[in-house]
Amino acid sequence: MSRPAAPAAPDAPGKRSTRTPPRPRRYRRAAGTAWRALGVAVVLAFTLFPAYFMVVSGLSERAVSGTDALLPRSVSLDNFTYVLTEAGFLTYLRNSLLVALITVVGSALLALFAATAVARFRFRLRTSVLIMVLIVQMVPLEALVIPLFLQASDLRMLNSLIGLSIVYIAMSLPFAIWMLRGFVAAIPVEVEEAAYIDGASWPRMFWSVLFPLVAPGLVATGIFSFIVAWNEFILALTFLQDGDKFTVAVGLRQFFQQHTTDWGALMAASTIITLPVMVFFLIVQRGLVSGLVQGAVKG
Amino acid sequence: MSAAVDTRPPAARDGRPPPRPRTRVPARTLRRWLPWGLLAPGLLVIGALLLFPLGRVVWLSFQDYTLRNIYTGETNYNWGANYVELLTEPYLWRVVLPNTVVFAVFAVGGTVVVGTLVALLLRSLGRVSRTIVISCVMVAWAMPAVSGTYVWIWIFDVDRGVVRHALTSLGLLGPDGFNWFADRVSFYAIVVLNVIHHGFPFVAVTVLAGLLTIPRELYEAAVLDGAGAWQRFWYVTVPTIRPVFAVVTILSTIWDFKVFAQVYLMPGGSGGNQEVFNLGVWSYIRSFSHQSYGMGSAIAVMLTLLLLAITIVYVRALFREDELR
Repeated sequence: MSRPAAPAAPDAPGKRSTRTPPRPRRYRRAAGTAWRALGVAVVLAFTLFPAYFMVVSGLSERAVSGTDALLPRSVSLDNFTYVLTEAGFLTYLRNSLLVALITVVGSALLALFAATAVARFRFRLRTSVLIMVLIVQMVPLEALVIPLFLQASDLRMLNSLIGLSIVYIAMSLPFAIWMLRGFVAAIPVEVEEAAYIDGASWPRMFWSVLFPLVAPGLVATGIFSFIVAWNEFILALTFLQDGDKFTVAVGLRQFFQQHTTDWGALMAASTIITLPVMVFFLIVQRGLVSGLVQGAVKG
Repeated sequence: MSAAVDTRPPAARDGRPPPRPRTRVPARTLRRWLPWGLLAPGLLVIGALLLFPLGRVVWLSFQDYTLRNIYTGETNYNWGANYVELLTEPYLWRVVLPNTVVFAVFAVGGTVVVGTLVALLLRSLGRVSRTIVISCVMVAWAMPAVSGTYVWIWIFDVDRGVVRHALTSLGLLGPDGFNWFADRVSFYAIVVLNVIHHGFPFVAVTVLAGLLTIPRELYEAAVLDGAGAWQRFWYVTVPTIRPVFAVVTILSTIWDFKVFAQVYLMPGGSGGNQEVFNLGVWSYIRSFSHQSYGMGSAIAVMLTLLLLAITIVYVRALFREDELR
């Protein structure tokens, strides 16, 4: 099963040299182009519409509080300034940044150690460790949130951004290990051996040789954990109880009421929290995909 | 699976220590314990914050654990009572399980089909237009689930949503409008749309990576044999990149069973409308709105078992790939 299946011959009758009489090539090509253009148009409309609509609604005037028009009647930054100054969204942004920063640094460091161990050494239980790391990612947060809440409440960590970050480190760690493993393994062992011959000790080799070489991988995993911490909703919703401790994902809720939603503010705030993630995605799209194929987590 | 990094160690790795590291610890001992030293911090964090809570949720599911127990710290075992109650509750079978499973079937099916179609389209494009379209597709992926969900709520808003406007101006909707969020089916139709929008880029990009590894000769041979477009797809493309399809399908399944924010944030999802709960939301509400942590844990354990079963399939699919070498 593992090998790519053989070029399964279509079970159509064997080699017959008569091809279906081709239509004039020029028309066929033109028709193909038209279909492709249509396909691209549909895909772009579907993918971009929500983001477009979000930005346009956020850019409406405060007085009309978000517009349901597809084109902005007048562009205004009212909603953005309201969200950032009066509505306290700046605090949420700061909280989220703090949490994301701790998560990125913590998980990158721990993942680098662990990835080096599994990529560079053969040891007993190595495969078991890898499988455990893989399986642990599947555990639904809905199951962890109950015990983690009780634990945090025992430790009086419920309202703590640091406590939340530590959980996020654990959450992003399995995937980060899985992703970095490939980067570490890609560094030729000869580089390390050369360092040893030059008389470097193991820690010295680690920091001066391995670390710089694996930096691109660290950036990719760092961005991944940033997105985890930035987007996470259910734990933040449960852990953070005071308004001044909210992260952006939870802070958005204040604009949403079932009957009197402040759509302009909500869309402006949504735009603000979406922007950094988009920028990061465009930076790492390539690495993220190959990492995702090997790992198992969506941001 | 794209030709990822070759993770196999050079043959010389096993047993043979590098030439004389200048450490006081004998090289063999070092090589034996160093990996564990390196793994320890990570495993400790994972163990304390993921594995231990997982054990604890199972333990909690056998108790009648309420707000009072939080304060007193007493345990109050009722053994299987939570599970008996859970499994004999018609609500589980009539509402929650269908919501979870039927939704996942539609969402996964939709995500994989849309993703694959987009991947095929992307393959047929030139390099420049392909890069542009991929970047745009990334936008849908990058939108955080939370803000993405609010945008879809806004699009389908009962009073001022664009969908309402469109339908009213077409004469398809009366002046009273229609509350999409009150009805279970239309509620989940919006969630499916939301999840497909968020999830298909991953499938598209992954399948495209697989498609690009298929040698052109295979298609040329198929054309010579008289295969049409559909036959080429079904007999050449699908078998060749079957592992890629397996991985994206299983991953989407796992993700879609766990969907939480998309349901919880929609009107009614956070408790107002019992008809729209899925396993995750039900567990959360039982625990944190009703302070019935034992019962919530039992529901969570059920969800975890479901996902574990899917995960085993996933790990085996990866194993076939020799991924763990």
